[in-house]
Amino acid sequence: MLNPIQVLCSDITSLSLEPEPFASYTEADIISTVEFNHTGELLATGDKGGRVVIFQREPECKTEPYSQGEYNVYSTFQSHEPEFDYLKSLEIEEKINKIRWLPQQNAAHFLLSTNDKTIKLWKVSERDKRPEGYNLKDEEGRIKDLSTVTSLQVPVLKPMDLMVEVSPRRVFANAHTYHVNSISVNSDHETYMSADDLRINLWHLGITDRSFNIVDIKPVNMEDLTEVITAAEFHPHHCNLLVYSSSKGTLRLCDMREAALCDKHSKLFEEPEDPSNRSFFSEIISSVSDVKFSHSGRYLLTRDYLTAKVWDLNMENKPLEIYQVHDYLRSKLCSLYENDCIFDKFECAWNGSDSVIMTGAYNNFFRMFDRNTKRDVTLEASRESSKPRAVLKPRRVCQGGKRRKDDISVDSLDFTKKILHTAWHPTENIIAIAATNNLYIFQDKFN
Amino acid sequence: MEYKVEAHRIMSISLGKIYNSRVQRGGIKLHKNLLVSLVLRSARQVYLRDYYGGICLSAQQAREWCEGEYMDSEQDKLVPGSKESMPESDGQSEVAVDKQEPSNVVESHAALDVESEASGEQDHAEDGVLDSGCSELKTPEENPEASPTFEVPNGVTTISSNCISGPPPSNPEQATETPNDCQTDGSESVEENSLERTVPQTCTNRKRSADDSELTDSLPKRTKVMSPPLISKNDEKRAETEEMDTSNVSSLITIFGSSFSGLLSSEDGAQPDSEADQDSDSGQICCDQMLKNLNPWSTAIVAF
Repeated sequence: MLNPIQVLCSDITSLSLEPEPFASYTEADIISTVEFNHTGELLATGDKGGRVVIFQREPECKTEPYSQGEYNVYSTFQSHEPEFDYLKSLEIEEKINKIRWLPQQNAAHFLLSTNDKTIKLWKVSERDKRPEGYNLKDEEGRIKDLSTVTSLQVPVLKPMDLMVEVSPRRVFANAHTYHVNSISVNSDHETYMSADDLRINLWHLGITDRSFNIVDIKPVNMEDLTEVITAAEFHPHHCNLLVYSSSKGTLRLCDMREAALCDKHSKLFEEPEDPSNRSFFSEIISSVSDVKFSHSGRYLLTRDYLTAKVWDLNMENKPLEIYQVHDYLRSKLCSLYENDCIFDKFECAWNGSDSVIMTGAYNNFFRMFDRNTKRDVTLEASRESSKPRAVLKPRRVCQGGKRRKDDISVDSLDFTKKILHTAWHPTENIIAIAATNNLYIFQDKFN
Repeated sequence: MEYKVEAHRIMSISLGKIYNSRVQRGGIKLHKNLLVSLVLRSARQVYLRDYYGGICLSAQQAREWCEGEYMDSEQDKLVPGSKESMPESDGQSEVAVDKQEPSNVVESHAALDVESEASGEQDHAEDGVLDSGCSELKTPEENPEASPTFEVPNGVTTISSNCISGPPPSNPEQATETPNDCQTDGSESVEENSLERTVPQTCTNRKRSADDSELTDSLPKRTKVMSPPLISKNDEKRAETEEMDTSNVSSLITIFGSSFSGLLSSEDGAQPDSEADQDSDSGQICCDQMLKNLNPWSTAIVAF
């Protein structure tokens, strides 16, 4: 890919009520997850306030050949509310940690959304017809006076304005002691898993009162705790394989056929630490924040604080490729530790053909790496650069020395503007970038 | 040297983060607190390593002065920084003189001294001890390697050097729990025990004393000052919450010290065991009562 990226639509301030460019936002508006569905027609975002907004791609307009379908708001609903655990005196945040779409099996769409403790299955369906001509009630639904009914009629379906209905179909609760960080739908379309810091549970989509624990890394004595689970995902094709990443920078591939409890991994992917880079913060920056299978199922993409790595499932001792996302931060780890930025969990994404990987950075920058040509680009998601149809200009961070025009120096990076969540359309070159409370959608330029 | 300063700063920042995590919305984040505790451990290792290096250098000069001052320190235990008490305790000075004698004598006397001060006077004792000038109380610990250079018997040396000043266990069982308590990589916490309030004061006292007396080791005094490694990481964190002043971190580090020994490499880890054994015989210092009731770390984690 890496052709110049054209802005498909200007930033969709999905959660801000005021249209002005510099409207202030509340913390509840911060987008916390972004996910395309399996066809790419729908794009779901979750925010810290527990709301889910679904965008739908408009059908292409045939009159304008350059006009690709734009994404417009399809539905908005409140998925999770703040809760209070009275037993532990803990507040449970309503922030949506992850959204995962189920493969579509009928006219309705289903998605799973989760906060720290509870996973919910939502049904998103359209209604564009309604019955008219009831015998016993009138147009407004009031019961008719029977004496006025003189003849019988058969109600008919008449078209109506499209209405999108969202209803909760399942609530999977009370299965996690720790904070849920990942959910992943299995390729069998019947089960899914949810992972928290120490355990992974397997659910059936139709059963809410039971789940199976398949991974448990909680030590007998909690004082012996040395690592936690940070992300987990099912293999895209093999319903028995799953991978989970740890805070120590390791990946474990587990095969559910081996045992009911997959504590023993089938494969362990670990890169030996480089002793020359050792610092106080070595452990923090080696913690994997996201793991994604490639569409082919052959590779794994992981993100830790400074790098993105591509692993081959057949090679456990080291990654296939390592991409430096923002190595200029390596000398600033102490400051980043102080302002908590070092704990930011960046996500990563594959493109449809697994040839390009993408991940976010600071200053509203996001980076793409072409695995074949080894080229990479840094782009910015900002209002100024995102007028409709504008082409994004590659950015550069200079680390001192010669500074070209338009370069940004490391010291002037804005660490409050971080792109943690990105998503790539499953088949086309359309990307969704969440920058704090704004959602940007970019697409490849057509010539 | 700059590593030490940096390590110190990182430790105080880490403690602050752990404290703040307890009050933030959504409950304690296990992952983040685990990472913070790992940073804390690394920083502490560097800090101690640096400190030990510093002690080695000053050990030689300090030695003679320490011997001369030993008598003073014994007397001063009841009165902070006071040297007038010296003439009062001739008996003790004899004890001090005995320092040159076989180790067991000194050791037993030291132990007796400690026990006699068990209740409530420990803070003052520490102050007196520290202010006397013979103690090198950058609270962190003695360098075990430095101790052999002293003429002080090994027994006392071991106690002092291994004891990275924390309150002694109130009972032997708690002492043995030390290695477990040290493994406090988790980050949960329980409700604060109000008794903990005394801990920061102790730390403050120690720190002030430490600043005043930046001189040589006083190993016999160490015996009194040091307490066995029972304070779990959580204790120090809570102590830190009372005063976020980084100057208190040094004091905290000493309290930390033994409870963190389990997190250190194996050669360090061996020390707390011996220290714990010996400290169970030694007296109490400051917040022993409170600490006896606090096994908060493990409790907290288990509860979480």
